[in-house]
Amino acid sequence: MTDVTLTVNGKERSASVPPETTLLEMLRSKLNLTGAKLGCDVGDCGACTVLVAGKSVNACLMLAVQANGRDVLTIEGLATAEAFHPLQKTFEELASLQCGFCGPGIILSAKTLLDENPDPTVQEIKDALAGNLCRCTGYTKILEGVVDAARIMNGKQDAA
Amino acid sequence: MIRKGRGIGCMWYPIGFTVMANPSAATVKVNEDGTATLLTGTVETGQGSLTVLGQIAAEELGIATDDVHVVSADTDTTPMDTGAIASRTTYVTGNAIQLAAEKAKNILFETAAPMLGVKPSQLEARDRKIQIKNFPQKSVSIGEVANRALSVTGEPPIGSASYNPPTVAMDPETGQGKPFSTYVYATQIAEVEVDDETGEVVVLRIAAAHDCGTAINPMLVEGQVQGGISMGIGFALQEEMLFNDQGQQINPNLTNYIMPTSLDMPEIDVDIVENYDPTGPFGAKGVGEPTSVPTAAAIMNAIYDAVGVRIHSLPATAEKVLMAIRENQANGQKQIEGGPAQLPAE
Repeated sequence: MTDVTLTVNGKERSASVPPETTLLEMLRSKLNLTGAKLGCDVGDCGACTVLVAGKSVNACLMLAVQANGRDVLTIEGLATAEAFHPLQKTFEELASLQCGFCGPGIILSAKTLLDENPDPTVQEIKDALAGNLCRCTGYTKILEGVVDAARIMNGKQDAA
Repeated sequence: MIRKGRGIGCMWYPIGFTVMANPSAATVKVNEDGTATLLTGTVETGQGSLTVLGQIAAEELGIATDDVHVVSADTDTTPMDTGAIASRTTYVTGNAIQLAAEKAKNILFETAAPMLGVKPSQLEARDRKIQIKNFPQKSVSIGEVANRALSVTGEPPIGSASYNPPTVAMDPETGQGKPFSTYVYATQIAEVEVDDETGEVVVLRIAAAHDCGTAINPMLVEGQVQGGISMGIGFALQEEMLFNDQGQQINPNLTNYIMPTSLDMPEIDVDIVENYDPTGPFGAKGVGEPTSVPTAAAIMNAIYDAVGVRIHSLPATAEKVLMAIRENQANGQKQIEGGPAQLPAE
């Protein structure tokens, strides 16, 4: 067993896990954070996307020990008690998601994009989300949701 | 060389099968605060059906969608529903809910009539009030009426109903009959680019015109159409289950069973062609499955328009399109060399 300590959504969390445990398995089974989904478990579908040190990763391809000591953000940590993240707000308003299984991964991939590139083109959004599969929506309203969220976030930045 | 083409696909699709029992049941109760509770056995799978069903109940009761609390999909407590299948929920479950809400509303009318000094038939439910038709100044709030029904007249405003599309037996001799309650129609136009040196097809744009009866929630209809088109594109160009001679699937992963990503999606124009259907709730029919029906046909016709080849087995992979283009070129060459042209076997 290996002791792993992560800062998850701002809180320090520890667990003792077998060394082959993936970050996804630790989040879901040990820390009860089931927002990141177990889809293909081989890095194809993106449903397990979380942010490690600000970068989006497939949590099914990263060992928990590789994330030891680092900051992890899951979908559970995105909204504050006061408000949704702009992406969550626009996705809700536009009905960007349908069944929602891909949603946590898509939203966190989009967040990574907007953190690095606050005013992306539609093509850049498509590129950023190409690793997140969605069977329901045809991605159309997802792209619109990211465009609108970027607009809201830029408006806020302009005001500040 | 990149060649562009456009193609059209048309379809009709049946809504509300009648060859066997296809019932939905619902219960609507109006609460003393003017809200309503809807019990339905159907299942929300992300398509937004509970939103649409809540809208149907709200419209019938003259209250806001937010006033309707929807309880669904619990076989212990909710009424029977055939299920979220066959693009039937808005139509069949919606009809059951409208009927149930109407029954609850009629109790509200009976309760409110003496309060307003008119007959129940002179009343309508609008803006959270029971009011006199053409004289909305005279009204009483639905919450107040419901409270009176519960605590004074003793007839709580609750309605239960079921809907089963009328079954019509097929004629055993001719096989003719009415297997479905109603039909929806759609046309999609695809614009594609085909690289005639590699066979690769890129879908640039799809315009999709869909009749779904009354679009109770146009935003959700759009979502269904866009999602259906992505499935249609996968069907047309990418998705194929491959088996070895032992019957084992040889591409069981998403790296080799290729489904559309954000990069495969064209620009989509959704055109909702509203067409009131008198048998549906507020004229609505359905939209789910039909959305993916015409896409592949439109894309195949666009490929033909672009490079002159007919692809008769899906998916139209780059290899398949390229082979068809080569074959077409070889046939053309033969015709030039070998005298009279043979008609293509199309």
